[in-house]
Amino acid sequence: MEEPIIKTANVTKTYRISAGAFKGNRSLRAVNGVSISVKRGSVLGLVGESGCGKSTMAKMILRIEEISSGEIYIDGKAVSSLPRRQIARRVQPIFQDPYSSLNPRKNIASIITLPLRALKTGSPSEWDAKVDEIMKVVGLAPRLKFNYPNQLSGGQRQRVAVARALIMHPALVLCDEPTSALDVSVQSQILNLLIDLRKEFGLTYILISHNLAVVQHMASRVAVMYLGRIVEEADSQMIFRNPLHPYTQALLKSVLTPDPHQGLPETHLGIAYPNPIDPPSGCPFHPRCPKADDRCTREVPQASVKDDHLVECHYPESAA
Amino acid sequence: MKTVLEVENLYVNLPLPAGMLHAVGNVSFHVNQGETISLVGESGCGKSMTALAVMNLLPRRGVRTADVFSFEGRNLKNACDSEMADIRGNKMAMIFQEPMTSLDPCYTIGNQLEEAYLQHRKAGRREARDRAVFLLEKVGITATDNRMKQYPHQLSGGLRQRVMIAMGLMCGPSLIIADEPTTALDVTIQAQILRLLVSLQKEFKMGLILITHDLGVVSRMADRLAVMYCGEVVETGTREEVFERPLHPYTRGLMACIPIPGKTKPGEKLGSIAGIVPTPIGELTGCSFRNRCPYAMPECTTTANELKEIAPGRAYRCLLSPESCTEKWKQA
Repeated sequence: MEEPIIKTANVTKTYRISAGAFKGNRSLRAVNGVSISVKRGSVLGLVGESGCGKSTMAKMILRIEEISSGEIYIDGKAVSSLPRRQIARRVQPIFQDPYSSLNPRKNIASIITLPLRALKTGSPSEWDAKVDEIMKVVGLAPRLKFNYPNQLSGGQRQRVAVARALIMHPALVLCDEPTSALDVSVQSQILNLLIDLRKEFGLTYILISHNLAVVQHMASRVAVMYLGRIVEEADSQMIFRNPLHPYTQALLKSVLTPDPHQGLPETHLGIAYPNPIDPPSGCPFHPRCPKADDRCTREVPQASVKDDHLVECHYPESAA
Repeated sequence: MKTVLEVENLYVNLPLPAGMLHAVGNVSFHVNQGETISLVGESGCGKSMTALAVMNLLPRRGVRTADVFSFEGRNLKNACDSEMADIRGNKMAMIFQEPMTSLDPCYTIGNQLEEAYLQHRKAGRREARDRAVFLLEKVGITATDNRMKQYPHQLSGGLRQRVMIAMGLMCGPSLIIADEPTTALDVTIQAQILRLLVSLQKEFKMGLILITHDLGVVSRMADRLAVMYCGEVVETGTREEVFERPLHPYTRGLMACIPIPGKTKPGEKLGSIAGIVPTPIGELTGCSFRNRCPYAMPECTTTANELKEIAPGRAYRCLLSPESCTEKWKQA
């Protein structure tokens, strides 16, 4: 079997947070034993509500955050043993908000070449040619080269962010909510661009998003996160056609597709997302689960895999 | 059915150093009791400005003009500030997008809930408190006594938005304006908040103006909708009419842009609208969408583009005839 481009083994991130004056610190498990692997050339969609740990996961892959325990392997090499610059050659991020992820005091050319300068790749004359080339690839007019981010529209800014991520020709691009700050018509432009670039450069994406319609459109495999755990993971088609975890089912039900003949769905999810400092006993999803019983409050469910479809639930069941 | 709000030919102009910004132009709509109308469009299309104009909360230099502007039968065209202040938060309430920034971090939830009631009613503290507790329960918040003493930062986003809704309802308004009420929330919470909003609207027979860019939300909530582009209404109709048979090229383009599970094929290219939204500054002629429109003709630049009504409540702003529109969608 081909080596996965990125593999995480039981990755955990624990933050120490103050519980108040004169009290000891408490620990918050943002990511709790996540094992995923992404095949070269595929797109992994990572979905979940805010606070579920999906962005923390991204930060650990980029090593912006240190891993508390477990290990991430990029091309078979452990991330903790690699210097940050080495990681940056293989993995590049695209962030959510192009209004805050671009330095307002640098012009477009210098924003795009930053990875080259930081990693001391090539000479300034080569950089210039590379900028022209990559700007063409992502669909930015050459005249914008010496403009500043505030002169650009949201869609153009996100194209700059894409250009910056691709200039090192990374193998893996981490897209953290790449379109959620954009308008609908611009969102589709950026998604189309990402689809084209993947084909052209054979890229692998990890797409973090709360928009399930976008994830279904882009991803080949989907992992659903809840309170720092992957609760369900399967091929995109399989998970959307036959979700087994009640949380995934509720998530899918709450997607509002444009359909004038349907009303608003009832999700039975309760009001509150649990506080990750005090995670519920047993199955972390049980306080919001319509199927929960005694066993769910006591026992933590173990992952079971069937037909390459992972689910962490005591009573996995098709909704139909 | 009683009409709560009627607006005809609303214009909002903002003088800027670069010229006059025509933020809203020629917008007409009405809201009936218990009805939801929706203003849809991308950022910068004037949907929020329309809402602010209705509430009279425009930026200081903004100028509002309208042929008809009546609320519950009262003519508010030239209403003074104190008259509007009397209505705002009382008979007309607004729910803002970002519950984190629209609640005051320095006051307790209870304090903020009671404020409008004490302002508009000759009521005592206790009565206001009872009303606040009653409404917090209505919006699905438990342990209300504790919640009343809490500060906004102690609540989650979904709870904060529920508090915002309760706050809007304090004085029993007949019109609620919700500006992107769920954009900042998770999908799971979004459905709940919208359901809550609809059930309360039906219970208290309020008119609701829902402002959003999310076509999914609109298609499931709005009785009637107006698609806005560049400060103008480009298409209106009931949600069935607009979603099943869009007439304006912009509406059609927007609908092609969103991936729909089950309809769009994964990995396939989505439709897109080339270019960006122009800023309506200075003298405007012709169709504002012509630069991005795949069907633009030479006449689009010169001919004044009027809203054409083809049936009661069903109108669109395009030179193409309804038949040729439908024809063109089929070819595409």
